[in-house]
Amino acid sequence: MDDLRTVSKDVDANNTKISAKNVQVYYGDTHAIKDVNVEIKERTVTAFIGPSGCGKSTFLRSINRMNDTIDICRVEGDIRIDGKDIYDRDVDPVQLRARVGMVFQKPNPFPKSIYDNIAYGPKIHGLAKTKAEMDEIVEKSLRRGAIWNEVKDRLHAPGTGLSGGQQQRLCIARAIATEPDVLLMDEPCSALDPIATSQVEELIDQLRESYTVVIVTHSMQQAARVSQKTAFFHLGNLVEYGNTDDIFTNPKDPRTESYISGRIG
Amino acid sequence: MTDISSGSLPLTTTDKVRASLAKRHRKQRILQAFGIAAISIAFLMLFILLWSQIATGYKAFMQTNITLDIFVDPAEIDVDRLPRGDFDDVLTAALLEKLPNVDVTDRAAVREASGIFSNGAQFDLRDRIVEDPSLIGQTINMRMPVSDPYDQLYKELLDRETPEELRRLNDVQIANYDQLLDAGAITSKLNTDLITNADSRFPELAGLKGALLGSFWALLVCFLVAFPLGIGAAVYLEEFAPKNKISDFIEVNINNLAAVPSVVFGLLALSVFIGWFGLPRSVPFVGGLTLALMTMPTIIIATRAALKAVPPSIREAALGVGASKQQVVFGHVVPLAMPGILTGTIIGLAQALGETAPLLLIGMNAFITSAPGTPFDSATALPTQIFIWADSPERGFVSRTSAAILVLLTFLIMMNAIAIYLRSKFERKW
Ligand SMILES: Nc1ncnc2c1ncn2[C@@H]1O[C@H](COP(=O)(O)OP(=O)(O)O)[C@@H](O)[C@H]1O
Ligand SMILES: [Mg+2]
Repeated sequence: MDDLRTVSKDVDANNTKISAKNVQVYYGDTHAIKDVNVEIKERTVTAFIGPSGCGKSTFLRSINRMNDTIDICRVEGDIRIDGKDIYDRDVDPVQLRARVGMVFQKPNPFPKSIYDNIAYGPKIHGLAKTKAEMDEIVEKSLRRGAIWNEVKDRLHAPGTGLSGGQQQRLCIARAIATEPDVLLMDEPCSALDPIATSQVEELIDQLRESYTVVIVTHSMQQAARVSQKTAFFHLGNLVEYGNTDDIFTNPKDPRTESYISGRIG
Repeated sequence: MTDISSGSLPLTTTDKVRASLAKRHRKQRILQAFGIAAISIAFLMLFILLWSQIATGYKAFMQTNITLDIFVDPAEIDVDRLPRGDFDDVLTAALLEKLPNVDVTDRAAVREASGIFSNGAQFDLRDRIVEDPSLIGQTINMRMPVSDPYDQLYKELLDRETPEELRRLNDVQIANYDQLLDAGAITSKLNTDLITNADSRFPELAGLKGALLGSFWALLVCFLVAFPLGIGAAVYLEEFAPKNKISDFIEVNINNLAAVPSVVFGLLALSVFIGWFGLPRSVPFVGGLTLALMTMPTIIIATRAALKAVPPSIREAALGVGASKQQVVFGHVVPLAMPGILTGTIIGLAQALGETAPLLLIGMNAFITSAPGTPFDSATALPTQIFIWADSPERGFVSRTSAAILVLLTFLIMMNAIAIYLRSKFERKW
């Protein structure tokens, strides 16, 4: 816990990357996110925790406007990345999603080769002019995804042939291939075994150097291990937000306390 | 277990479960027996169908021929008068050489004997001589199909025991035939004419070439129209159309369309394509358009099901890296759905191949003796050809009909096999 505390102190000095003000999200008549305000720091791992169905994924998905793809979903309020309102009319969600990468609960590589999985994003955004540039992007992304050594000899084998943990690191590499600043991860380890989980967690810790990472997790141990900031959601409300070690050692809200001690959730 | 339940407690859960267990097992056994019976009956029907068609049809795959040495007599055939000439007399002369018993001066006897030639024989001879007039004055060896009654005789479909006046061949004709058979002039070989000839009034000459090509052109037109339109409609409805009353209404109507009897589509095509647009009757192009009307709902429904089956995680993955809606659909969803789409399309085309009623209505049951070179030439199709032959009085058409049915079934089974292969090969690769 000592080293975590030092880390959190560093983090408070960082700039705000994402700021949300009075965010409401509705699915039809269901009010899924109720008036959430939060400031997420740059180059920090922020964990969203809370009982299932409390709206963690919903809030995460409003940061890259993935909710736009759900017909009945409506987002209100103000979400800014680097001060720019992402729901502004001149923001194209397609462009936004290149800057805000996303990793999903279940590893979902395309049923294509490992190479093509990584190259797809850069290709549709026109990030590489030549084959050599693309090769470079692919290698760099796979290295950052901490999977290069395992796949470098079979870049043209199908991505779906990898193990679950490798697939998830491939998906992380795919998400960072478009050079995003923000990485959103929705329970990225929930489908993985403990060894794969610790590999991915290690990777997340490295990613903090270059990216703002927001991770949804239902495992409090995981939140404690990888994050510097933690936000606790309950029934659509953001109950408590602060340094991870403060939340875990000294929660202010009784609901946070009972969740952490295992009484709700 | 038994120890526990036989204890002092009156009725434990285990006891209750055991009491109901026998009943449940019996129900399951009855259900199983029922299922097995249903499958057996289905297989029996299939077996009867195939057996009856093969039993009558296989004989049409063989054709009885007569082989003769023919002296092309310059007295009968004049090189200057070609293509006219007394080719039938030349043939008869060659035949009589093998039949010394027949009195050459008895016109009736000669006519009876020469009935063994099919009507096409003299034309075959003519074509050969027109092609190479130097044959005049020489002796050539020719193999020709025998006429239908003799073919039946060879295949033992004509019973020698029948009283003479009820037989299609009299005793003298049969004696002549036996003489030719002994001389080795009568042989039987695989009937390639069945595939390479077009239709004819004479069963021994009738073939399926016209019908096969007619069906091919019609299916090609059907595919070219129904496949892109069907996929386009399905992709739009499934991926882009807003979900509201109008799209629900369209969906219901597409499902209804798939259930409309095919004869109705035939009437529609008759009044629209032929009546309003003035397209010609009996041509595979119109047949293909008509079949496309029927195949499209099948393709739309299969495509929508295939699109629905693509897991949402793939869409999310593509959206997550910043693909636009259209890139997600055409770059990921449609390619992944393609095996399902193709399977549905092939099944739709197989249905179209066997469809008869609409083609009858647009006149694809005409008697046409040349194979269509383009989709705009008059033609029949396989099912309508079967219909025509089944309706013909000549005995020879009975086995021809069965043979045509076997050809049609072969194509249908092949198409369905391809569909099944595609489905199993590409099933779930994510
Ligand atoms: N696509 C959707 N349509 C309707 N309701 C949804 C949808 N997704 C989530 N919800 C509802 O929104 C609430 C929050 O869900 P979610 O954000 O997935 O929770 P969490 O990720 O914390 O488990 C839940 O009540 C859920 O039923
Ligand atoms: Mg969730």
